[in-house]
Amino acid sequence: MANAADAHAHDDHGDHYPGFFSRWFCSTNHKDIGTVYMFVSMFAALVGGGMSWFMRLELAEPGLQYLTGGAPDMQFYNVLLTAHGFLMVFFVVMPALIGGFGNWFVPLMIGAPDMAFPRMNNISLWLLIAGLALLLISAFVGSGVGTGWTVYPPLSSSIYHPGAAVDFGILSLHLAGASSILGAINFIVTIFNMRAPGMTLHKMPLFVWSILVTAFLLLLALPVLAGALTMLLTDRNFGTAFFDPAAGGDPVLWQHLFWFFGHPEVYIIILPAFGLISQIVSTFSKKPVFGYLGMAYAMVAIGVVGFVVWAHHMYTVGLDVDTRAYFTAATLVIAVPTGVKIFSWLATMWGGSIEFKTPMLYAFGFIFLFVMGGVTGVTLANSSADLVFHDTYFVVAHFHYVMAIAAIFAMFAGWYYWIGKMSGKQYNETLGKIQFWMFFVGVNILFFPQHFAGLAGMPRRIPDYPDAYAGWNYVSSVGALITAVGTMLFFWILYRTYAAGTKAEQNPWGEGATTLEWHVPSPAPFHTFEDQPDMSGKQPAE
Amino acid sequence: MAKPQQKDARRNVRTALACASLVAGMVGLAYASVPLYKLFCQVTGLGGTPGIEAAAPEQATDIDFTVRFDANINPTLPWTFKPVQRAVNLKLGEEGLAFYTATNNSDHPITGTATFNVTPLKIGQYFVKIDCFCFTEQTLQPGETVDMPVTFYVDPEIRQDRSTEEVTTITLSYTFYPKKSETDGQVSALKQKSTPVDIGG
Repeated sequence: MANAADAHAHDDHGDHYPGFFSRWFCSTNHKDIGTVYMFVSMFAALVGGGMSWFMRLELAEPGLQYLTGGAPDMQFYNVLLTAHGFLMVFFVVMPALIGGFGNWFVPLMIGAPDMAFPRMNNISLWLLIAGLALLLISAFVGSGVGTGWTVYPPLSSSIYHPGAAVDFGILSLHLAGASSILGAINFIVTIFNMRAPGMTLHKMPLFVWSILVTAFLLLLALPVLAGALTMLLTDRNFGTAFFDPAAGGDPVLWQHLFWFFGHPEVYIIILPAFGLISQIVSTFSKKPVFGYLGMAYAMVAIGVVGFVVWAHHMYTVGLDVDTRAYFTAATLVIAVPTGVKIFSWLATMWGGSIEFKTPMLYAFGFIFLFVMGGVTGVTLANSSADLVFHDTYFVVAHFHYVMAIAAIFAMFAGWYYWIGKMSGKQYNETLGKIQFWMFFVGVNILFFPQHFAGLAGMPRRIPDYPDAYAGWNYVSSVGALITAVGTMLFFWILYRTYAAGTKAEQNPWGEGATTLEWHVPSPAPFHTFEDQPDMSGKQPAE
Repeated sequence: MAKPQQKDARRNVRTALACASLVAGMVGLAYASVPLYKLFCQVTGLGGTPGIEAAAPEQATDIDFTVRFDANINPTLPWTFKPVQRAVNLKLGEEGLAFYTATNNSDHPITGTATFNVTPLKIGQYFVKIDCFCFTEQTLQPGETVDMPVTFYVDPEIRQDRSTEEVTTITLSYTFYPKKSETDGQVSALKQKSTPVDIGG
């Protein structure tokens, strides 16, 4: 921020780029900030992915093979799976889909010159990076944070996690949360106030709609997490007893607060993916999205209903049967707007002139994985069934399909779709398709067998297991290896694109790509839409 | 150009402030949820929170029921705390009396409070306390031992609720913990008179 004056100065010079440090470290430009978000996300993905591959390596066979540093270190495994969860949720998916693509393309798609508060945008970015640093530090403090991403007390209380590691983790989430809240306010103001003349809310591209709904979810959910984390922090350090039953508190209250945030959080992750997939399906089917308004309001409905289903994560805490009946019913209701979305994607493709470029393959992959995870989601929504599945690998398989891998597929889809616009270089289509198939085959071999292990009763969050589960775990680990190779291939493609990519056209996708970002040159110039385009009388963008 | 830009900036700040107040409201709601959750539990009996009434119903039933007693202690409180009797048998709707005994093992007076709940958690709303040592703070002098009474009844409605009709035994559990700031309170529960009924077993 020392260079705020500098940043102000370059606003006055059309396409004059500032120096390296000013440009990337003090940026107020939505495209540059988006790019830095993307690279932060990729870095965190390598760290978090590396952890998951180590866990799969350990789980490939029964017994402990790699955790044995003298004595078996089970806490280290807990630290790995906790950090994996935190990294993937807060520092990979959210920065890429919201911070990266959101920053890059929301202003472009609505014809705005930049975000409403460019400097606040910069603060969001650096709060996130500081949060990431704190999280990585927490792994080296004491015995690390081995609480799982849900941070349930009493495991996260000072009895079972003495030392400062959990405090580092809490502060890390506070910073990441503050970053997201500021980012969300920025998006809401930008989308409400800075759309091009004539672009009404009902003509906005669906990706912008998805970011708008996500931003509201962030505003409503993250402060609750911040409040709960602060209570936990004061419980640990300042003698309060919000969650300590031996002093009048209640650990179940933490679960209520956490999941009141946690359930909307999974929609925060997946809604931008919905928006992105809508753009891509429409582009490569060369048709407008089927049921545009239904698609937009389905996202709103998912967001609203997402706030009243949280206790379906807590069926085993002793809720009475009526409460569980309500949460089961409310959870099943979410399948309706979700079904509207799946139906409309398929209806968009129906009769379209479909082109199987890499982004479209990834969009197909996304829909497949999301439906797969959705089906197990409807299974798990039933509290009677969930009492059996709770904390087994069936749950692990479910949420990796529906949220984790689906979101990663959307990120890949978005990267292949927009890299030409972002870098000015086009990726290699053949390598892209190979990368898709490796990844698609890899993740299915990785996660599908976990359904079987879970149905057979294998618990989550353990580094060792009875020999009976050995077979499917081995298959799953082979899948992890294929996925790892697919990931390496992606980074090779990324490198080749920047080093030797062909020059990207303004619109490489043809008539199907109708949104405003395809009306500016590739790469998108430093400043775009300083004169806002007139969108009055135009059709909905998608 | 300057004027409309200023107007835009004002509008942006207004929208941002509206968003910020939404955030502040949600943080407030998160903290408000602590007392609200407590209240909700008391009203609905959620999580095995017993109800509180002034007296037992006039008419007891002739249905047998068992209430068992459990005692826990916060490790930072140097007391011994246990129930005098393991269980009492009584009729639904009948007022029961039980005693817990507590000893201060330290060399200074200590004030403690007890939290309580009943299991199975679903019967919270049918277990009613009339009077209890847990309603107030308890101060024990060094080496002092006191017997602390609790009077209660089990609401016969428990047999009308399909989800609780099979329950024949309830466990009442207490956890004593030290009060944060030491005060010279009285062992008020001991001074209260209660009218015990005949406790079978």
